[in-house]
Amino acid sequence: MKITVDPSSELVIPISYGSTEVIETGKWGFQKPHTAFMTAPCQEACPAGIHIPQFLYLTQEKMYDEALFTILRENPLPGVCGRVCFHPCEASCNRAQYDESVSIHAMERFVSDVTSNQIQNIQLHSSRNSKKVAVVGAGPAGLSCAYFLSLLGYHTTIFEAQKEPGGVMRWGIPEYRLPKSILRKEIQRILSLPIEMRTGVRVGKDILFDELDPFDAIFLSPGAGMKAPLFMKGGDSERVWKGGEFLERINSKEKINLGKETIVIGGGNTAMDVARSALRLGSKVTIAYRRTRNEMPAIPDEIVEAEGEGVRFEFLVQPVKINMTKKKRGAVTFQRMKLTSPDQGNRPKPIPVKGDFLTLETDSLITAVGELVNLSWIPKKLIKDDLIEPGSTPKIFAGGDAVAQPRTIVTAIASGKRAAISIDFFLRGDDDEEDLSKISVGGKGSLSMEAYLQGRDSGEWPEKKEVVSYPQINTLYFEPSRRVRMRKRQRNKILKGFSEVNLGYNTKEANFSASRCFSCGTCNYCYNCYFFCPEGVISLNPLDRTRVVDYLHCKGCGTCAKACPRSVVVMKEVG
Amino acid sequence: MLCINEGISMKDFITGNHAVAHAVKLCRTPLIAAYPITPQTAIYEKLSEWEASGVLKGIMMRTESEHSAMASCIAASLTGVRTFTATSSQGIALMHEMLHFAAGCRAPVVMANVNRLLAAPWGFWADQLDSLSQRDTGWIQFYCENGQEALDTVIQAYKIAEQVYLPALIALEAFFVSHFMEPVDIPEQEQVDRFLPPIDLPHKFDIDKPGFLVPVVSSELYRKYKYMAQASMDSVKEIAVQVDQEFKKDFGRGYGIIEPVMLEDAEVVIVTAGSITSTARLAIKDLRKQGNKIGLLKLRLFRPFPAEAAQIALKGKKKIAVIDRNISLGSGGIFCQELRAALIHSSDRPLTYSYIAGVGGTDVTPEVIQKIALEVMNRVDPFDQPIWVMEEH
Repeated sequence: MKITVDPSSELVIPISYGSTEVIETGKWGFQKPHTAFMTAPCQEACPAGIHIPQFLYLTQEKMYDEALFTILRENPLPGVCGRVCFHPCEASCNRAQYDESVSIHAMERFVSDVTSNQIQNIQLHSSRNSKKVAVVGAGPAGLSCAYFLSLLGYHTTIFEAQKEPGGVMRWGIPEYRLPKSILRKEIQRILSLPIEMRTGVRVGKDILFDELDPFDAIFLSPGAGMKAPLFMKGGDSERVWKGGEFLERINSKEKINLGKETIVIGGGNTAMDVARSALRLGSKVTIAYRRTRNEMPAIPDEIVEAEGEGVRFEFLVQPVKINMTKKKRGAVTFQRMKLTSPDQGNRPKPIPVKGDFLTLETDSLITAVGELVNLSWIPKKLIKDDLIEPGSTPKIFAGGDAVAQPRTIVTAIASGKRAAISIDFFLRGDDDEEDLSKISVGGKGSLSMEAYLQGRDSGEWPEKKEVVSYPQINTLYFEPSRRVRMRKRQRNKILKGFSEVNLGYNTKEANFSASRCFSCGTCNYCYNCYFFCPEGVISLNPLDRTRVVDYLHCKGCGTCAKACPRSVVVMKEVG
Repeated sequence: MLCINEGISMKDFITGNHAVAHAVKLCRTPLIAAYPITPQTAIYEKLSEWEASGVLKGIMMRTESEHSAMASCIAASLTGVRTFTATSSQGIALMHEMLHFAAGCRAPVVMANVNRLLAAPWGFWADQLDSLSQRDTGWIQFYCENGQEALDTVIQAYKIAEQVYLPALIALEAFFVSHFMEPVDIPEQEQVDRFLPPIDLPHKFDIDKPGFLVPVVSSELYRKYKYMAQASMDSVKEIAVQVDQEFKKDFGRGYGIIEPVMLEDAEVVIVTAGSITSTARLAIKDLRKQGNKIGLLKLRLFRPFPAEAAQIALKGKKKIAVIDRNISLGSGGIFCQELRAALIHSSDRPLTYSYIAGVGGTDVTPEVIQKIALEVMNRVDPFDQPIWVMEEH
């Protein structure tokens, strides 16, 4: 292009009807802007490493299928996690330091719900192979492992002892928190992949452990379903329910009569599930816990909801004597406790207050004080400290409740993903586990399957991304706003059955909630760089996801990097 | 407003600043961009007041600086509308870069500059250095003796600037002209409408044919446009005379680009510009009564410098005293420099003395002027240096 100034013009001044683009002002600069996507703290905190800002951006743009795919790349169970996850993402949300964290948990549910009317096609990895993997246990870890192995091209067979898959999601979590229809849809989606599901097959009983040997790799993910005995007088009485067993029977739609009053012992999520289920069976419920409310391991929202529904709490009490005979009303005697300095788990340790006891009468007693994984069917050499430690047996991998990690749905899903990647390493004869660091999402142990798939075949691993901290966000661009409180079923209807309590967001609430995301480290086409660029050299196209800087004319002033509210644009020196 | 009945015409008793504001309103200027600065602020305020009350059918842009005010005027002017700004002292100094742009873009912006000294030291008083030191920016410059002349010159300036596509500056001295209240004849709107045709720029922005102004040009092209601008500037001397004559015909007042006063038989000529002229008129009358052959030459147009007119007016004069309310350090009074240069090729050219009087707003009384005249009468040798006139203590 040339500047065309007509020297014969009659005009008194030169006017160019060409373009100044002919002057390559970009050559004057010594630095150029680059889009450098960074990791958001929510993403780092999510054990499944979901690209949260990306799915929220797509939700805001009403690109719901794309939003769902974004989640499915890292987590096969968004409908489940959108309901029952303990959502550490929200605690890490940068926006929490500004006003209130983004409603990531509710948004994951929304994306799942708004798209769940049809089974989504999942993009399979192109190269299938003939290697076969056995997965034992169809809980969140097993399903996750099988799902990701499928994406990596493997054929998987899942062995599940129960008559239906789902593990704790099917048999542990009550319907009012996680409707079975949601779970079924998600499992159905997973099983649309080349996965063979063999339910009602208990390894060690229906087939021998050795019969798994023909598989090229084995993933063990048994759930913690075994009753932990209460070592106290009367603790083995038949009228003392075990939490897991109680929930399993509820989830099997058995009719249970607890009587007028029920005491639940424990302070975790199982205790909350048990207590709230007992309320729905018409019983008055008291939770007895040996520490205080602050130390309860249950998700805080669950505690609040339990209390809101009418569960009573008795803190700093430990059962010492259980008197539950068959026909009479029973009684439980508690030792009063007090807290002292923290124990190894960094929680204050409860010790007895000498001579101070409390006796409560009750019709039913349910204990929810931790459950064990039944490992009797697994060869001894694979077990260490009541956990599976395959150690020197290379083809065996483990995850879920049977390994050392918090027993939550999302950590189980994460362990399944991690195992799928490790199995892939093993079966491809690559023992360089250092590659795992190349796909880590931040520094809290989450892995990105998207990054793994990208780097695995091409060998070109994505650059390690920094985590965006709050000071890196230009908050001047955000108006303070509150989270949308999720609508709940009417209180007088809640306790009449097991209908879902939380009703989810409508489209408007979801759109607003998604718009509250700072989108830390991820371009969401806010157009700030475009508007502030004094040279007009930035082109953005959200439709084909392109951001182009005309480097021939970018002088490298850095205005775009300063104007980016979310730390996406960085200046790099030329050459 | 106080009106004085003087003969048949009703006059308004107003300041020089308000006279300028009236002229801007009468010229139907749709875009005014300005930044307030003493002693110009009264112009800005008056126009703002009229904008608020709806009397002024235009936009007052309150810009963040004089530099932006001038940039706004240039851009607006190039859309083909009449524009105006007013400034003073530090304001015009800040505008400097944009003054070149206005002339280079051939934007007929009209500006009133109230002559105020340039800091440092700080002060608000009359001194012509602020506008004179912008003499090479390519602006037409007029220096006005009083409020009436300031009003009339604004109207004339639009008519001249819009014919030659060059910006024009009207200078009026701080307080002596800007704040003095005098009877001023404010013309009727219809009269001004008849006198001043609508602006029509050949090079205005055309949205149907988008173009880019101020492109990079070759050396030869740059030279070509400077040459063209100089030719246009040179034509102002003739056009300004014509416009002044038309004005006199329509309004009954004319000023000329220079004004000779009792020059025919004068041997010594006092040369002034701006408000000192009115004082000099009085001083000369007294000197004449005493039998001295003294005359007065008023310089009204400074850029382009009316060299030919000055040569003719001063032909055969023995001695000239140029009184400058300004000083170009290291040289002398700026009007004197220009006049000396203009007369250099005149045969039998007069001895030209540079008197520095009134700098920093000091008072130039009739006595000061008489003293200068008498002193020049006694001088016989050329003297290059500026001669400072100071009060005796």
